[in-house]
Amino acid sequence: MYPVIAEITGNIGSAFGLLGAAIGVGMIGQKAAEAVGRNPGASGKILVQAIIGMALAEGLGILALFLAKANS
Amino acid sequence: MLRIKQLLSLLAVFGLATFAYASEGEGVAPAAAKLVDFGHGWAITNSMATGWLVSAALIGVIIFVLRSPKVLPTKSQAVFESLLETLRDLFEPIVGKKAFPVTFPLLVTFFVFILLQNWMGLLPGVGTVGRGHYVDGQFHLTTPWIRPFTADFNSTIALALVSFGAYLIIIFKYAGPKLILWDLFGNKADKKETPGWLYPFLSLVFLVVGCIEVFSIAIRPFTLSVRLFGNVFGGENLLHGTGFIFIFYFMELLVGLIQATVFTLLSAVYIGLICNHGDDHDHAEDGHGAEAHH
Repeated sequence: MYPVIAEITGNIGSAFGLLGAAIGVGMIGQKAAEAVGRNPGASGKILVQAIIGMALAEGLGILALFLAKANS
Repeated sequence: MLRIKQLLSLLAVFGLATFAYASEGEGVAPAAAKLVDFGHGWAITNSMATGWLVSAALIGVIIFVLRSPKVLPTKSQAVFESLLETLRDLFEPIVGKKAFPVTFPLLVTFFVFILLQNWMGLLPGVGTVGRGHYVDGQFHLTTPWIRPFTADFNSTIALALVSFGAYLIIIFKYAGPKLILWDLFGNKADKKETPGWLYPFLSLVFLVVGCIEVFSIAIRPFTLSVRLFGNVFGGENLLHGTGFIFIFYFMELLVGLIQATVFTLLSAVYIGLICNHGDDHDHAEDGHGAEAHH
């Protein structure tokens, strides 16, 4: 098994963090689109909430990208 | 129809032209290059100089346009007024009425400053003009003269520390230490509705949650700075590394706008969580008191 794992190269720490961030941002976007579809009048407020949520989720992904690289 | 054809042909020209230049495929170093070195780590870097230039330009524009504001606004004054109105409608429900007059200038400054510093990284000449040397007949750039202010980690740390310092000052002034401690560690369960044996246990739970919350508050300057730096520097790296493919300029415009909005919104939300929160609790307590009396 070890030879197989040793073949994996690149920055795995960043990869997992960014995978989580991408999935999180996508889920927030899905729910935001759904909420606007239910209540088109609240589109401005939903946009604000969605952007805040996406920023927090994406921030951790960027943390993973730069910290994993710094410690490699 | 002619307009659309013109637009499409222009886009095609830009798109294809970038491939002609896509020879230098290197990225940008994370540390900003020093322009003037004073020794022992003190220096003036290119991002500092760019930040000063853009700030001076912004201050110059504002002083020139708004030298004497009139009640009946001129066109340029109306632009600034509409910007301020939009931002006020966005931030007033978040921050709450008590802390809003003090917080609003800070938030507007953050937004306009970070937006301009992000967008100026898209001007031609940024990161490509500077000192270098020739290697095998091709010019290698070693010290670029212009670099966006927010593409340097030191700059975003400074911005995040200013935001965090303002947050501390505003919440201590407008909410008071007692409300802050209650909000972080206080038992928020309704004493009349929880069984007697459960209440002390809940107090302990809220205490532990408060410690976790203090840690997450302490980490805020770090996440604010890394988020802004990562997005802007990543975009700059992408543009330089892929040879300035045209479509990425639009993406960088959007990212610059969104990151400025997010930084300002998060600063407002952090302040509003304590200051706006307090108003709701005062009203809720009055409501409970009135119910208990009859």
